[in-house]
Amino acid sequence: MDFLSNLALGFATATSFANLGFCLIGVILGTLVGVLPGIGATATIAMLLPITFQLEPVSSLIMLAGIYYGAQYGGSTTAILINMPGESSSAVTAIDGYQLARRGKAGTALAVAALGSFFAGSVSTFLVAIFAPPLTVVALKFGAAEYFSLMVLGLVSSVALAHGSILKALAMVVLGLLLGLVGTDIYSGTPRFIMGIREYADGLNFVAVAVGVFGIAEILRNLESEQTREVMKTNVRNLWPSREDFKRMVAPVLRGTALGSALGILPGGGAILASFASYTVEKRISKNPQEFGRGAIEGVAGPESANNAGAQTSFIPLLTLGIPANPVMALMVGAMIIQGIVPGPNVATEQPALFWGIIASMWIGNLMLIVLNLPLIGLWVKLLTVPYYVLFPIIMAFCSIGVYSVRSNVYDLYAVAAFGLLGYVMLKLRCEPAPLLLGFVLGPLLEENLRRAMILSRGDPATFATRPISAGLLLLSLVVLIVVFLPQVRKKRDEVFVEDN
Amino acid sequence: MTYLRLAGLSVGALCAASAAFAQGYPERQITMVVPFAAGGPTDTVARLVAEKMGTDLGTQIIIENLGGAGGTLGASQVAEAEADGYTVLLHHIGMATSETLYRNLAYDTLNAFEYVGLVTEVPMTVLARNDFEPADMAAFIEYVKANGDSLTLANAGIGAASHLCGMLLMQALEVPLVTVPYKGTGPAMTDLLGGQVDIMCDQTTNTTKQIQGATVKAYAVTTPERLELFPDLPTVAEAGIPAAEVSIWHGIYTPKGTPAEVNEALSASLQKALADPGIVKAFADLGTTPSPAEDATPAALKEKLETEIARWKPVIEAAGVYAD
Amino acid sequence: MKTEIDKGDAIAGILFILAGLFFAYQSLGMELGTSLRMGPGYFPLVLAGVLILLGVTVMVKAVRNEAEPIGPLAIRGILLILPAPIFFGLTVRGLGFVVSLFLTALIAAFASRKMKPHYAVLLAVLVTIFSTLVFSYALGLPFQRFGPWLRF
Repeated sequence: MDFLSNLALGFATATSFANLGFCLIGVILGTLVGVLPGIGATATIAMLLPITFQLEPVSSLIMLAGIYYGAQYGGSTTAILINMPGESSSAVTAIDGYQLARRGKAGTALAVAALGSFFAGSVSTFLVAIFAPPLTVVALKFGAAEYFSLMVLGLVSSVALAHGSILKALAMVVLGLLLGLVGTDIYSGTPRFIMGIREYADGLNFVAVAVGVFGIAEILRNLESEQTREVMKTNVRNLWPSREDFKRMVAPVLRGTALGSALGILPGGGAILASFASYTVEKRISKNPQEFGRGAIEGVAGPESANNAGAQTSFIPLLTLGIPANPVMALMVGAMIIQGIVPGPNVATEQPALFWGIIASMWIGNLMLIVLNLPLIGLWVKLLTVPYYVLFPIIMAFCSIGVYSVRSNVYDLYAVAAFGLLGYVMLKLRCEPAPLLLGFVLGPLLEENLRRAMILSRGDPATFATRPISAGLLLLSLVVLIVVFLPQVRKKRDEVFVEDN
Repeated sequence: MTYLRLAGLSVGALCAASAAFAQGYPERQITMVVPFAAGGPTDTVARLVAEKMGTDLGTQIIIENLGGAGGTLGASQVAEAEADGYTVLLHHIGMATSETLYRNLAYDTLNAFEYVGLVTEVPMTVLARNDFEPADMAAFIEYVKANGDSLTLANAGIGAASHLCGMLLMQALEVPLVTVPYKGTGPAMTDLLGGQVDIMCDQTTNTTKQIQGATVKAYAVTTPERLELFPDLPTVAEAGIPAAEVSIWHGIYTPKGTPAEVNEALSASLQKALADPGIVKAFADLGTTPSPAEDATPAALKEKLETEIARWKPVIEAAGVYAD
Repeated sequence: MKTEIDKGDAIAGILFILAGLFFAYQSLGMELGTSLRMGPGYFPLVLAGVLILLGVTVMVKAVRNEAEPIGPLAIRGILLILPAPIFFGLTVRGLGFVVSLFLTALIAAFASRKMKPHYAVLLAVLVTIFSTLVFSYALGLPFQRFGPWLRF
């Protein structure tokens, strides 16, 4: 009963005329920006985040959530049409989606992606609605030791999201952790690594780092190959998938939804890991694994569903614990704090309208997206014919405005340039920026809670093992670690075996 | 580019000179710098007052949040701004404490600003987790003195209201507690709610809802008199530790050299704003009251700043904690 | 089988080591404390040590069977894109939002070889008008439209 009345409150909040409007604006803006080549959800939100500051908290976060989903949809569209993923999650979609497009089945691929996402989004919205409150009860049992162990789990999972070298991903995580420590140490007041620049005393601005390593680095990467890139004129008629296509997509969508929902709850795993995991699963289960990479509908349906389900459930740790599950959620936390809402276990009880309003608007947002996206696919393609050299001066102008408007600190703009360079260099060296950003977000939390737990336990490190939740989380981290590294070890053994032959 | 900049700079200098004639002030919109993030208690106070003052002055007062380094970044920006009355600063008690907390401050607190007036003095409350044993303030003092360093005291970071109050409390009780710093009031309060830490002292702005919801145990208020909001809570003076009296006072400043008549005009407008029933109501919701007219004056704020700098210097030095 | 050095990995390794050394050096200048009562330098020092170790491992593994090329560098992009936000930061208070943004967009526009000067100006003007309307007027962000350097 409680659940129903809460959901009713949520829908009442989300369906107010203004909030429906903000959800729609968010969804449209997110899609419009997300569909642009090379701009993913993270960059989109980083850019559009400041726009929401002036709104009241509920509307602001509803619009942000709308932007997030919109950007996800938009990113998939670009990935399928021109093989230009805006972020790592739609990179998976691009593998088979683009191949389908080349075979003249772009419409099918887009429709499968949209329908799969909608189904996954609807299911996981209810998962969030049902399981978020019980998690909130547990959340108050979380002390410093538990948070520390949770951060460890998040970090371990974040390594798994890398698709390149695990070693380099680890190094990027550690570098991110260190960058996250820049600023005044809250325990002693000592300024750390700020090189005498007092403007960095409160730490490096997350938006500046995110815009730099994702947005700017992406622009530079696109600039280096501007002679070769061209927009392919793709036939996107023949929208609706055939009966056989439907049959093939059902199971992958269900599996993707389950996988994505579970992973989305994990901090550090989230939507990014979800699509990769789903792709791997589908490829292993499939009777025709050779079809993958050549245009398998399962390779679009599974990852897209997993991606959207994960996007949805990654709101759970944010809404109940205040922990960002991925870089996008970290931006949401920033938005909440700017709105004067400290995300934490109290949000659901202190701000029920906000909490349930966001959950309800998730589903509404997804509904709006599917209604918008299917008929508007033709328009997206037209938008993509805007030349890139026209696009990026606009992007630069907007991200400068966006970063500066966060806290009127011009040093944040210098940080954008510095992290843009760092991001580009790292991109060239095939080091992924996502682990760095996760490290950056988790770094201060990790240290803060480690030291706080030690203070609270009067210097007894056994506190991490004797507190049951903490011990459980550490054990889970160990399991994840084994799961991540086991295939690596096995691969090594296979390689050795091959060489022996 | 350099030409443009040079040209711009000289124009700026001319402007500053002409602005000294305060006739007809204000002619354009005024920027009120809040040296903390948007949405916090200080920002809320500023936005409420700025709107009313703007209406009275017949111009718009826009809020610019220049947070960072305990409010010293925003304060130093204002210290360097043109003294034409179009840049003002709304800062709290940190204006006085940062003089000692930051050993290499970019400005000289007492000589870098002119004064407009006090805005409000926010009371503080002594809290503990809900299952904390002592039943009242007398028992609390006894219990804390007896258990001293096995108890934990949360604060929201160095220089925060809860940190200042905590320092005073420990010195007044002559007991060192285990200090547990947090990044901001939210997480500190969360841990107090969850019973992870024992004691915290914080502004009513942050604690009123929790006290009313009985999620924490309140023991005393740090004001000279009891609060209307919590008539049952004794003052720290009643409990025998008047040295722990503290309030988070907020004041409005202008850069040094701002014409006296401008400050007077702003002060008169501030007094009118503070008497507004809407402000009184909004401040009451935050758990505080507007400063009386006689305190919303340049002289009163100047005196407050001087006495508070002198008061906090020994307290901070005794604690040996610095924020730089 | 031919053994090559993967330049990307080698450089990445060196950069990780250098970053680790920087953080380690800085951490040593701070109070370290003990594992039971950690000082401000303790945790970063441990992390810096881990980063150096990882950097060394990445470098060692750079020697392998096949190397991947680094590919072309966007030099022009680096020279014109990165200064754009810096320029905005230097001038937004002095010149004000409108002029500063116009010049920022203009600088960034020249990062592409395909951009013709008159189109760049047109684009910058359009971006400026749009942004001023949206951010300054519609959203009311606290920007001065024309700064003190331009005030007469």
